[in-house]
Amino acid sequence: MSTTPLRLKELSKKEDLLTGGHRMCAGCGAPIAIRQVLLAAEMPVVVANATGCLEVSTTIYPYSAWKVPWIHTAFENAAATLSGVEAMYRALKKKGKIKERIKFIAFGGDGGTYDIGFQSLSGAMERGHDIVYICYDNGAYMNTGIQRSSATPLGANTTTSPAGKVIPGKLQPRKNLTKIMAAHGIPYVAQTTPAHWRDLMTKVRKALEVDGPAFINVLSSCNRGWRTPTDRAIEDCKLAVETCFWPLYEYENGKLTINQKPKEKKPVVEFLKTQGRFKHLFSPENEHLLKKAQELVDKEWEDLLREERMWKAEEGE
Amino acid sequence: MPEKILMKGNEVIAEAAIQAGCRFYAGYPITPQNEIPEYMSRRMEEVGGVFIQAESELAAINMVFGASAAGARAMTSSSSPGISLKQEGISYLAGAELPAVIVNMQRGGPGLGNISGSQQDYFQAVKGGGHGDYRLLVYAPNCHQELWDLTMRAFDKADEYRNPVMILGDGILGQMMEPFEPVPYSPPNLPPKDWVLDGCRGREPRVVKSLYLGEGELERHNLKLFQKYSRMKEQEVLYEAINVEDAELVIVAFGIASRVCYTAMELLREHGIKVGLFRPVTLFPFPEKEIKGLSLQGKDFLVVELNMGQMVEDVRLAVEGRTSVEFYGRAGGSMVTPEEVMEKVLSLQRPTSTRLSL
Repeated sequence: MSTTPLRLKELSKKEDLLTGGHRMCAGCGAPIAIRQVLLAAEMPVVVANATGCLEVSTTIYPYSAWKVPWIHTAFENAAATLSGVEAMYRALKKKGKIKERIKFIAFGGDGGTYDIGFQSLSGAMERGHDIVYICYDNGAYMNTGIQRSSATPLGANTTTSPAGKVIPGKLQPRKNLTKIMAAHGIPYVAQTTPAHWRDLMTKVRKALEVDGPAFINVLSSCNRGWRTPTDRAIEDCKLAVETCFWPLYEYENGKLTINQKPKEKKPVVEFLKTQGRFKHLFSPENEHLLKKAQELVDKEWEDLLREERMWKAEEGE
Repeated sequence: MPEKILMKGNEVIAEAAIQAGCRFYAGYPITPQNEIPEYMSRRMEEVGGVFIQAESELAAINMVFGASAAGARAMTSSSSPGISLKQEGISYLAGAELPAVIVNMQRGGPGLGNISGSQQDYFQAVKGGGHGDYRLLVYAPNCHQELWDLTMRAFDKADEYRNPVMILGDGILGQMMEPFEPVPYSPPNLPPKDWVLDGCRGREPRVVKSLYLGEGELERHNLKLFQKYSRMKEQEVLYEAINVEDAELVIVAFGIASRVCYTAMELLREHGIKVGLFRPVTLFPFPEKEIKGLSLQGKDFLVVELNMGQMVEDVRLAVEGRTSVEFYGRAGGSMVTPEEVMEKVLSLQRPTSTRLSL
C-alpha cells in the first residue's frame, strides 16, 4: 500500500474519519487536530477516548461522529482501556486469528491526561503497549466549565483559579507533560499543534510507525476557556509556537529534535494578550507575572536548545 | 430572622459549610456540582481557609482524610461517578472514625450515565458504599432551606459521632435557585477533639488508624462502630410526615421526588382521596419505627423514587408485610411528574372492605 503524500491535494481525497455534524463548539481546536490525526493514519485504527468535550460532543447516542471503532469507559482510564484492547489484539494476532496490522490511538484532554488519567497513561507507556496516546491540551477542564488543570498556564483565570484583587489567577506554572513522557524512555514523544498540520501529521505517522508506545501532546485552543473569538484557534496556536510557549519538538528513541525554530522569537505577551483568560495580567500590579511567564518560556526554550546542541555535538564526534 | 435570599443550590451548600466553620475543601470537577468547588475557590481565600483542586477524586477524599486527622472541619463534594471513586477513602474515614462531610449531587447512572438529577445512589449512600461494614449518617435535603440547615448540621454531627456524614442531594437541587433564610450558624456543645493529630510535644502521641491486626481487635472495633450507629438510630432520625393521620395511603419519598409527591398529594386530596406524605430526611438512620407505626395503623404505602426501587426495600423491611408497599420510579435522570404519581395512586385504589387490617 502506498502512503498518501502529506499534500493537501491528495489528503483532501481521503475520507474524513471524524465526520462533520459533531457538536464541538465553533472555533474549537480539538476536532481539527483529531481529523488531522486520523487523516495521517494509513492503517486501520481503534480509538479510545477519555471523558471530555471530545468524547461527549462526538458521541451523543444514537449518533457518533467516528468512522472508526471507538471505545470509552471513564475519565481516568483511556490508556488502561486501550491497553486491554491492544493486549487482546496482540494475543489474537499471535494465535493467527487476526492478520491485519491495526494501530491503537487514545485521545484525552489535559484533565484526563495530565491529572486523573496520568497514572493509567504512565502504566500503559511503561508496560510498552503499542499505543499512540494523543493529548489535546487546551489548558483547563473545559467540559465541566473551565476549571484549572495542571496544564493551565501560570496566571490563567479559570473558575477554580479565579483572578481577583488578591490572587491573580493560577499561581502555579503548568506541568511539562511532554518532558515527563520523554522520561518514560518510550520510542516516540512529540508536541505539536493543529496549526502546523504537516508537522502534526508527520509526527502522527512516526508515532504510528514505531513498535511500542508513543505520546503526542497537541496544544489546542478553546475559545470558551481562552476567552477568544471563534476565528482565533489557528492563529493562537501559531503564536504559541512563535513565542516558544509551545515549541515544536520530538524525541525519537530519546533523541531530541526541535522541529521549528522561530527566526525571531516573539515575546510571550503576544500569545497572552489575545486571550481573555490572561487579561488581568496586563494590569500594572501583575507586571511581575508577565515577567515570570517570559522567564518560564525562556528557560524551557533554552533548555531545549542546550539539549539539542548536546545531541548534535555527540553526533559530530 | 434574617431576610430570605436567592441562591443556587450548590452555592447554598458551599456557603453553609463556610459559615459552619468548614476551612478545608478539596474537590475535583464533575457536573452537576461544579458550583461548589468554584464557589469554594473564591470564598475559602476570603475566610482564610483552604481550597484545593485535586488531580482526581481519589486525591480529594484523601486530602480530606489528612485535613480531618489534623483537626479541620473538612469537606469534599462530587456527583455520582466521582463519589464511586471516593469510596475507598470514605471507608478509611469511617474505619479511622474521622469526621468529614461528603456531598453527592447525584446524576443518572450507572456508568457515565448522564448529568440529570437522579436518586440512584441511595444504596451506595446508606448501606456503606465502600468496603467493610460501616455506615454514614445520610441527610436527604429537599429544598434550599434544608441544604443550608442540614449542611451545617452535618458538620456538627460528623464531629459529634466522629463519622463521615453524607449530604445526598441531586443535580436538580444543585442547579436550581430558590429563596431560603440564611439562619446564622450556632455551634452546639461538642466533645473536645482530643484525638486530633496536631503535634505531641508535651503529651502522649495519638494514633488515628483503621488497621487492626491483633486477634479479635478488628471485631471489637466493628462492635464499637456499630454501637455508634445504634446511637445514631436512637437519636438522629429526622423525617417529615404530612397528612398521614387520616391517610389510607402514605406516599414515601425523599429529596427532590418528595416535592413532586407533595403536589400530587395536594391534588389527590382536592379530589377527596386521603393520601399522606412521609419524607425521610435522614436516610441512615432510616425512620423505620415511624413507618412501622404507620403500618400498624393499617396504612398502605407507595414509595416514589428517582431510581428503579432502592429505598422501597427499607420501607418493606419496616412494614414487615403488614400492609401493601407499592413502588413507582423513574430512573436514569428522568423526572417523575405529579400526574404520574396521581395515576399510580388511583390505580391502587380499592374498596375499603378488602383492605388488609390487623
